Amino acid sequence: MKDPLTQRLVFLVGLLVAAALAGAVLSPHFLQASTVGYLLQYVPVLGVLGMAQTLVMLSGGPGIDLSIGANMSLVGLAIAGMFGLGVPLLAACAAGLVIGGLLGAVNAVLVCTLRVPSLMATLATFFAYSGLALALTGGTPIGGLPSWFGTLAQGRFIGIPIHMWTVFVPLGIVLHVMLSQTRLGSHIYAAGNDERAAFLSGVKVWHIRFGLYCLSGVIAALAAIMTLSWFQAARPDAGEGMELLSVTIAVLGGAHIFGGIGRISGTVLAVLIVTTLQVALQLANISQAWQLAAIGVLLIGSVMADNAVGERLRARARRNPA
Amino acid sequence: MALLVLCTIFALQSEFFLSERNLTTILRNSVDLGIVCAGMTIVIILGGIDVSVGGILAVSAVLIGRAYQVGMPDWVVVPVGLAAGALLGALNGVIISKSRVPPIVATLGTMYVYLAVLFLVIGGVWISGLPSSLSFLVLGDVAGIPSGALLLAAVYVFAWLLLRRTPWGQRVVAIGCDETAARLVGIRVDRTKIQAYALLGLFAGLAAVLYVARMRNVEVNIGTNIALEAIAATILGGANIRGGVGSLVGALMGVLFIKITQNGLVLIGVSSLWETVVIGSLLVVVLVIDAIETRRAG
Repeated sequence: MKDPLTQRLVFLVGLLVAAALAGAVLSPHFLQASTVGYLLQYVPVLGVLGMAQTLVMLSGGPGIDLSIGANMSLVGLAIAGMFGLGVPLLAACAAGLVIGGLLGAVNAVLVCTLRVPSLMATLATFFAYSGLALALTGGTPIGGLPSWFGTLAQGRFIGIPIHMWTVFVPLGIVLHVMLSQTRLGSHIYAAGNDERAAFLSGVKVWHIRFGLYCLSGVIAALAAIMTLSWFQAARPDAGEGMELLSVTIAVLGGAHIFGGIGRISGTVLAVLIVTTLQVALQLANISQAWQLAAIGVLLIGSVMADNAVGERLRARARRNPA
Repeated sequence: MALLVLCTIFALQSEFFLSERNLTTILRNSVDLGIVCAGMTIVIILGGIDVSVGGILAVSAVLIGRAYQVGMPDWVVVPVGLAAGALLGALNGVIISKSRVPPIVATLGTMYVYLAVLFLVIGGVWISGLPSSLSFLVLGDVAGIPSGALLLAAVYVFAWLLLRRTPWGQRVVAIGCDETAARLVGIRVDRTKIQAYALLGLFAGLAAVLYVARMRNVEVNIGTNIALEAIAATILGGANIRGGVGSLVGALMGVLFIKITQNGLVLIGVSSLWETVVIGSLLVVVLVIDAIETRRAG
């Protein structure tokens, strides 16, 4: 029997094909080469956030980061604000990555050091960060970024957006290799599968989780930089809704909400599915409401399907124990 | 305790804060959140969570609005709103208990679906100019006591009796403490869960009725923050997100805490944009104090 994760990937590829077919049926404009570039424009920001969420969930606990979108808004404002004060843009971006990491570290301290359940801790920081983003700016966006900065998210290389090449794909590969090939990766899975057993066999569960919450903050900062380059302005609500969407993508991609199961490849497929659906419905000029409904049904349906498959596998294992 | 400190600060900063009119305003503004929070407390004690209550409230409200627009009388409209809420809540419960999807994922999914329903029904335009025949429910008063407060009190007494004085309430607590054990002693876990989520849905429907009665319109972004605020209030009130522990009185205090913060900040001249920062930071502080106390006790 194939392992359930591979099955999951096959299922996701099928879903992606189905989504693309739906797009082709719904709109004559969908099956054009330009659609690919247009579609991929939306992928990186959501994609890296989904990866961050997948990592936080993988290490168990159960782990979740609801503050990821608010973190992204706040870092974007910080970068644009620093630039406005005369800091060179690249230095401001570097500082932004550090700020993102620090905001992530606040979550890490709450969840790992103080042992506050992650749902509550990151809910609290979600309020604090998104409130801060709104309050500091009074709700108005900060603009005035140089136009060369737009190249990152607006430029294309062989028809594919540059931030796909420079951020999304490299990050995906690095994280995939880290999870599947390195000791750190297997420790992350171990921590998510059985915290106690992992701890007793010498895995530094605490360090791993602490690091992943910080990493999630840094990745949120990356997303902020891409958004900044795309829109040439920092909006206080740039990351609104991203926290729930990133959870959706991680779960749709096969990450288990209690940890220990999941793959970056699944997350990448899930981002492509969600974006394809959104773009297809958009091109077909169908109300945005249906996009929401489709995402919701997809989310619940994929977890249900997962559970059903898992139960059948377990039943089979009981009948003929190897 | 914290509530008292907060009130003292605001009272010192603004003479208007303690006026009867302002206190009534705070109460009126607390009614929606307070009612939803009573249901949320029960669901959290059960070991669940529902992030879709905002969606339920929105769908109920928009149905109420549409029902009014086609000229239905109050005695039809109100049951429609309540029934819609209870049905959507029960749907959450069925998905969570029958398919074993973790509650946060399931309600995240249904929230998207409910929001879609809202957008489809409302079509991007506010429903406004609704009749005021029910506004006495929130804005009126009985023997000098604001009717909103009476209603809120009634809901909490009802929820408290249900939770602490009936076998059903004991089952809820038992499931929240240890679901497997509860199942083994013969508690019908699935049924209790569906009932609890339906009850929360019913409360969200009631909140929708009161919202429409008070505002006399339905806006596109109705209910957006109420789920997170209700969860925050419940946790501020001492509930444990892992289930088994929680307090209705605490939750009500949490609601007042949030609403007084919102109101007080405006009165002392701080931009209302800061309220989320303050609520979030207070939540962090409460969680940290909690964590330190637990560690000292353990």
